[in-house]
Amino acid sequence: MRPNALVGFAAAILGGLYTIQVHRLPKAMAGDASSPVAFPLGLGLLMTTLGILLVFQEARHGLTNLEGVRRPAFRSPSLRIIFKTAATSLLYAFLFERLGFFFSTLGFLCTLQYLMNGRRTWKLNAALALGFTFVAWALFVQLFELPLP
Amino acid sequence: MEFGSLLLKGFSVALTPVNLAWLLGGSILGTLFGMIPGFGPSTGIALLLPLCLGLRPETALITMAAIYYGAMFGGSRSSILMNVPGDSAAVASCFDGYPMARNGQAEAALAVSAVASLMGGLFASVAFTLLALPAAQIALRFGPPETFCLMVFSLAATAAVSRENLLKGLISLVLGLMISTVGLDSPSGVSRFTFGLEQLQTGFSFVVVILGIYGFSEVLINLETLELETARPLQLEFRWIRISMAHWRRSIGPILRQSPVGFLIGILPGAGAGIAALRAYRNEKKRSPHPEEFGKGAVEGLAAPEAANNACSIGAMLPMMTLGVPGSGTAAVMLGGLLLCGLQPGPLLFEPQPGIGWAVIASLFLGNFACAVINLPLAGFLVRILSIPPKAFYPFVVAVSFLGLYTVNFSVTDLYLLVGMGICGYLMKKFRIPTGPLVLASVVGSSVESSFRQSLELSGGSPSIFFRSSISSGLLIAAVLALAWPLVVGWWSRWKVSKPAERPGE
Repeated sequence: MRPNALVGFAAAILGGLYTIQVHRLPKAMAGDASSPVAFPLGLGLLMTTLGILLVFQEARHGLTNLEGVRRPAFRSPSLRIIFKTAATSLLYAFLFERLGFFFSTLGFLCTLQYLMNGRRTWKLNAALALGFTFVAWALFVQLFELPLP
Repeated sequence: MEFGSLLLKGFSVALTPVNLAWLLGGSILGTLFGMIPGFGPSTGIALLLPLCLGLRPETALITMAAIYYGAMFGGSRSSILMNVPGDSAAVASCFDGYPMARNGQAEAALAVSAVASLMGGLFASVAFTLLALPAAQIALRFGPPETFCLMVFSLAATAAVSRENLLKGLISLVLGLMISTVGLDSPSGVSRFTFGLEQLQTGFSFVVVILGIYGFSEVLINLETLELETARPLQLEFRWIRISMAHWRRSIGPILRQSPVGFLIGILPGAGAGIAALRAYRNEKKRSPHPEEFGKGAVEGLAAPEAANNACSIGAMLPMMTLGVPGSGTAAVMLGGLLLCGLQPGPLLFEPQPGIGWAVIASLFLGNFACAVINLPLAGFLVRILSIPPKAFYPFVVAVSFLGLYTVNFSVTDLYLLVGMGICGYLMKKFRIPTGPLVLASVVGSSVESSFRQSLELSGGSPSIFFRSSISSGLLIAAVLALAWPLVVGWWSRWKVSKPAERPGE
């Protein structure tokens, strides 16, 4: 399918789901009951319309006609590292308050550097991770007095 | 008289040691962020956004502005030495900057670009100074309907300038507005789209969107080219970086002609420094008696875009600071910084608390000189960063995004949302959906909704209020024209390339 048509379908579905959610919102107890709903309702309908228009625009060329269309390329080695980075980030979010700033950040940085720069420069990576963690702590906690777990 | 005393007061604030130190720091950071391919001013400001919480508002704004124009200075370094633009604003600098460096004129190219950026920046600072007060005074007359229509125009123009597809620009825009509706609706006390999650009651912070799009997703996109061999700078050792009299004579004309062009493009919502630089390059090539020299190391071809992109970056701050309407993704990030500082962007920055608005204006003059110093005598030292492969910075960009975001609300939920937003940004970039409108809309979304609701309350629910004043009607017409413009241009270019025989009437 043409990539823009996919975007159109996604937008129309998102708009539709959002509009359904708008209808399920409770009415305001004070003032105009519909005031918290009016703006989101307009957005939901607009998103659905834009999605449908995009699908129609693409349908003129044939939804499956890919001639002259630049398709987004997803190469598996890139996807693998992107997936690992996202998964490491989610794990970092999970451990941040549980392990505390210092150990979670140090581990997070070492893992990302291993993923992105390889294991050959592990000593330099570890030193940079340690240095960064310390500087970040000094900057946030000492200079700006922003508490970190 | 009032004007002069306000500017003097601004200088007195900007010249305090703390503000000067942050101005210098912001200029250096901006230059570095501009230099590193894959990052730009938006990423630089986005990563430092949480620091706004620890700084005085004027200091935060001075620092963000310094990063913005500092990136314009720095962007050309990698264009000249590696033929790889630091950001989109520096694309046009590759055309003649790199050939100059290959012809053994790297020092001259670095000097011409720095001087052109300085001159463009100074011109734009003067224009900003002259226009700030009148613009702020006009904005003071705006009521909720005018404010709503102004934002609609700004958002529509930003979506319309989306290079890919108008509909995709609008989808991105509506998605940003949808995100801004999540959370507790304070006027009515109704929870919207929280799905019962207490953590979402405070809303989907625009900082999550900014850091997700300009921090995390930029890294994800750059990871796709991790295995590719990175370009190396042509040289890292330099003789004296200075502009010769011959180069100055060839540069001054393009600088003076294209700085106003860049400034005006900057004021227009949606058009960014990349467009300004390319327009300036085309203008100079068109009027040159030797257009064949362009692309082979013409000094004019480097000076014009450099002056224009820096003037544009300062021009883009004018509507953001005086009207509270950001004209670009980077300006939207700055607007977010202002909101984090607890300030209401717009004319009030210049009226009851003139120190802030005028301090920023004064800092534009000081900062441009600081950037020139950084990019002339210190350029030889700073460009060494180009020998480090960009992938070495990625882990730190991700870590700074996470840490900075945590310090805004001290909420781990925001960290999960950041990953989600980063993946969303990655997919948007892969499917060539512009992300600028999304960021812009998520920052101004709540203001758009509140001005919409206030207007309807004033009119008893009648939408005719948006057509009652000439200002609001004019802005809505401008919004429609902005949306129609790409369609007209597309139709016109198709008509031009069609065979004369196929044209009606021929």
